Amino acid sequence: MTAALTMRGVRYRYPDTTDYVLDGIDIVVQPGEWLGVVGATNAGKSTFCYAAMGLATEFFHGRLIGEIEVLGTEVRRQTVIERSTRVGMLFQNPFTQVSGARERVDDEVAFGPENHGLEPALVKARVAEALQQVGLSELRDRHPLDLSGGQLQRLALASLLAMHPELLLLDEPTSQLDPGGTKELFEALSRLHAAGVTIVMVEQKLEAVAELCDRVVALAQGRILADGTPARVFNDAAVQQQVGAPIYVRLAESVGLPSPWPTTFETAVRAFNA
Amino acid sequence: MPRGLSIYAEGNSALHRAHPFTKGTLTLVAIAIGFIAPSLAWVIAVAVILLGLLTLADVIRRFVPVALGILLPITLLLLIVQGFANPANRTVFFPLGPLSLYREGLAVALLAAARIFCLISATFLLSFTTRPADLAEAMMQRGLSPRFGYVVQSALQIIPQSLESAARIRDAQRARGLETEGSLLLRARAYLPLLLPLVLSSLVATQERAMALEVRGFGLSVHRYRRVVLPDTGVQRALRWFLVALVPLAIGARFAGWR
Ligand SMILES: Nc1ncnc2c1ncn2[C@@H]1O[C@H](COP(=O)(O)OP(=O)(O)O)[C@@H](O)[C@H]1O
Ligand SMILES: [Mg+2]
Repeated sequence: MTAALTMRGVRYRYPDTTDYVLDGIDIVVQPGEWLGVVGATNAGKSTFCYAAMGLATEFFHGRLIGEIEVLGTEVRRQTVIERSTRVGMLFQNPFTQVSGARERVDDEVAFGPENHGLEPALVKARVAEALQQVGLSELRDRHPLDLSGGQLQRLALASLLAMHPELLLLDEPTSQLDPGGTKELFEALSRLHAAGVTIVMVEQKLEAVAELCDRVVALAQGRILADGTPARVFNDAAVQQQVGAPIYVRLAESVGLPSPWPTTFETAVRAFNA
Repeated sequence: MPRGLSIYAEGNSALHRAHPFTKGTLTLVAIAIGFIAPSLAWVIAVAVILLGLLTLADVIRRFVPVALGILLPITLLLLIVQGFANPANRTVFFPLGPLSLYREGLAVALLAAARIFCLISATFLLSFTTRPADLAEAMMQRGLSPRFGYVVQSALQIIPQSLESAARIRDAQRARGLETEGSLLLRARAYLPLLLPLVLSSLVATQERAMALEVRGFGLSVHRYRRVVLPDTGVQRALRWFLVALVPLAIGARFAGWR
């Protein structure tokens, strides 16, 4: 089976700069995986997503060394637009992802499929399905700019889903959402994961990463600091120091429980009861 | 509900239902004839037709504030300036000592005001009864580049949103005790920290928006299906040709001595 995303010896720097923002990344993401990407500010998390989407080269015109394969195709052999039917990318700010050209939620979701020339009947079916997946069917006739931040971000996700992507790149999708909006977005993503979509998610909410992701990669200064299950990565001393860890780790450590410390709510309850 | 700068007024009149090009043609032709017509009587005839159409579209009540807010001050200004100071002024209309109002100047002002009335009421007739998105869509269906169509459609929605975020930043600065009132120097200083986040955030926002559009396939030159069917009829097409034909006719008539 072809990997969803492969990076081999990837180094990247933005134009007119000398530092490599990605500095030797090797990673293989298998189809169906939900990968969490964590790291401090400026670690290179966004750039990692831009590189995988092909934006780092095509949009920012920076210098890329090494190999990136997305769903079996070398990243530079396809344009971002061509890739956009198979790979979706969600950005931080829900507002900047609204096209602004459509006056209804369902028309907004149709924007992508229509750009790709899908026939109207198919577009209609895709839109209904995507809105269903993110739980926005009821709001289909509202104006996009009347939605809350959390609803807007789910609308942006639906707009990607309508193109039936196999791989989703999410760059801090909940950073501007309130707790309710965050919960709803994670629930939608869990359903997609269960349906087999590959997800690469940059996220600062480490408890959620530990809870949801199959695997975590910790980045620091453009390098991979640790790569493995959430339990392993968040028990790594270097990760704890440079990135942090779910609150349960700190709690368990401070009351003197023996390591490895629990990283999720469930395991924490069990550890504290033992 | 339309949002942003669009002043479209929901409705179901014949004008609302008409093809955007029919209304666009009507607007342009009404403006052209208003300026070509040689005398006040003809220009007023065009204005009356436009008022009739505004009534037919049931948007006349929304036109009143426009008329009072824009047209009334322009008309008064024209009457005063021309009535007092037009070089052709000979016949006193209203004696006011050395500064009398003259008939010739007032006539010039009335004609100009009536033409501006046609210009503005025709423009608002189109804006009240046509969604910007539909107009842009109609143009794209006739071969306008989708990129240009997008700019037309989105600017009307996104600009007010950006202004709103500017207002939010200003409020935030005020909440932090930043004085935005006071002396000019003080004000200039107060605006510096205000402008920086605004410029930065709008730069980042446009960059992120450009990327977000690209990952949704925007800019791809494939065959796009018509997003909405904008009903057009033979009658409307004929009407458009008739309206367009009026313009050269009016120009010809004017050269032939139309009074
Ligand atoms: N367009 C750009 N041009 C130059 N440098 C950039 C650009 N975008 C990001 N950087 C730099 O790249 C580094 C990594 O940024 P980024 O990938 O955004 O990190 P993160 O998402 O982890 O916070 C930062 O030092 C940042 O200043
Ligand atoms: Mg980032």
